[in-house]
Amino acid sequence: MKPYQGVDFFRVSRLLDAEERAVQAMARQFVERSFLPVLRAHHAAGTFPTEIVPELGALGLLGPSVRGPGCSGLSYTVYGLICEELERGDSGLRSFASVQGSLVMWPISVYGTDEQRAKYLPELARGKLVGCFGLTEAAHGSDPAGMETRCRRDGDGWVLSGNKMWITNATLADLAVVWARDEADGKVRGFLLEKGDSGFAAQAIHGKYSLRASDTGELILDEVRVRDSRRLPGVEGLKGPLSCLNEARYGIAWGVVGAAADCYHTALAYALEREQFSTPIAGFQLTQAKLVDMLTDVTQGQLVAIQLGRLKDSGVNEFPLVSLAKRRNVAMALDVARSARSILGAAGITDEYSPGRHLTNLESVYTYEGTHEIHTLIVGQAITGLAAYR
Amino acid sequence: MKIAVCVKQVPDSETRINLPGPVPDLDRSAFTLVINPYDQFAVEEAVRIKEKRGAGEITAVTVGPQAKVREMLKKDCLAVGCDKAVIVDDAALAGADPYAVAQVLASVLKRDRFDLVLFGIKAIDDDASQVGVMVAELLGFPHVSYVGNLVIDGDRLTARREIEGGVEVVESGTPCVLTCGKGLNEPRLPSLPNIMKAGMKPVEVLDCAGLGLTPPASLTRVKQYSPPPPRGGCTLIPADDPAAAARELARRLHEEAKLI
Repeated sequence: MKPYQGVDFFRVSRLLDAEERAVQAMARQFVERSFLPVLRAHHAAGTFPTEIVPELGALGLLGPSVRGPGCSGLSYTVYGLICEELERGDSGLRSFASVQGSLVMWPISVYGTDEQRAKYLPELARGKLVGCFGLTEAAHGSDPAGMETRCRRDGDGWVLSGNKMWITNATLADLAVVWARDEADGKVRGFLLEKGDSGFAAQAIHGKYSLRASDTGELILDEVRVRDSRRLPGVEGLKGPLSCLNEARYGIAWGVVGAAADCYHTALAYALEREQFSTPIAGFQLTQAKLVDMLTDVTQGQLVAIQLGRLKDSGVNEFPLVSLAKRRNVAMALDVARSARSILGAAGITDEYSPGRHLTNLESVYTYEGTHEIHTLIVGQAITGLAAYR
Repeated sequence: MKIAVCVKQVPDSETRINLPGPVPDLDRSAFTLVINPYDQFAVEEAVRIKEKRGAGEITAVTVGPQAKVREMLKKDCLAVGCDKAVIVDDAALAGADPYAVAQVLASVLKRDRFDLVLFGIKAIDDDASQVGVMVAELLGFPHVSYVGNLVIDGDRLTARREIEGGVEVVESGTPCVLTCGKGLNEPRLPSLPNIMKAGMKPVEVLDCAGLGLTPPASLTRVKQYSPPPPRGGCTLIPADDPAAAARELARRLHEEAKLI
């Protein structure tokens, strides 16, 4: 099959500058050279390829837009382009980078103390430390306000108890950003828990159909005692975790375009080679209609992503814009993955081709970081002024 | 150690050239241009030499229109460790042959004096393998081509050349010209911070006059590009009886193809 060189029918790369194109090329080559050769075995085994983490760090692909010690502080557009290339490889890879960058490095950079920034950010950026983010609980997904995890002041520190569910990087993480409700004033507070803290444990979730090359697990907090220096002092209330999610959703809006582009690329190559009735199936009208719809969808997704990036870089960072882009692009990528799978016929259900993997991955992406439905209601509220979920 | 790496921009290896019949020149408008992949081995080797010695300066040199080659130099040379770049951009050099390009490069290399000059073994567009060794002749430097392994000790170098059926080991002093082949190293990817810093490294743009050079004339000229002749039809010999099929094949090779 022809090597992947991106899908750019609409010359969208002309909206990028030379540095941005160079970053795109570098991330694409990293995925091609270092990630894809090891992906299939990890996907089959249900493990994340930790062997690539040092290179992710050395190339600067972790938290590139985060500001702080050891961080690059580059644009959101650069971050988005990286997410697109990583998710072209696999949603599990982009999830790893999203969690590390947007959900761990970003809150430490924005809500942490200078000491926390200096202690954790350089190591997280280099991939020497892996982070995870604990907000969702088994009984509280779309409505995190119901969280049951508690924290209470105890002398010069805090004691945390509760369980966090569906946590990416849970068992890999050296560091967890965990959100808990203060028993005293009811406010949600953020804490930095380290692997090995007494009472803190992680357990893997097995049997996943989706995001198999990603570490998903549960965090168990049983009277975990930490000093006040482990609290993120810069924020209280749900806006803390929700602002982090807004960062991560931004990356998803870009990332899924990569998954869709890979599906289109794979389906096009297959359709040109696969012959039925003595002719390549790409010559059939029904197949062409699918390919054209896929290409149009990918193109629209690219344009939505880059406009979102330019807006964010110019300081426009409204939740509903990110919601619209995440919602639309994930649904788009799922449609494209399904079409690609259908063009591949039976071959589309094996791990020899990427669309089946992207398709099952994207079912998770459709649900996490704000479900498709919740994003519908966020945009719905933004345009009508009426909140449908309260 | 001052090292020069001479690089060329070429069409991507996936480029589809549409050639309905013989033409005097190719339509290059839709080509995606990239750094010649063999030149990446040269760039990587230069960076490794500098890293190993802990000092030195690497200059990337290319001939071509700056609007086209500048991004390549930044991305594939300056972002991975070259310190500066020189572009010779002169309309008079459009379509220049290997000898003319070698003259221009030699003129840059004479001006700046290098200890080591690295090339890729060949460019993947014309496959000429000429420029590197011509530059060596023009400079009066020794050269080692098709280098697959290189060890430098002080100002002495030992290069292994991949030759038909074996390996040749060549020693040389500096200055020296080397052409670098696959297997010499694995070119690194540029890191994000280095991509961003590449824009701040100096890029000098010159024309032939700036080098005190009359644009050199090409010794050769491409007259025509033509598609390969269509392949003849294939005859399938039924092999129900292998011995009879072999006899029939031998007969046809002898009587029709006159090969045996």
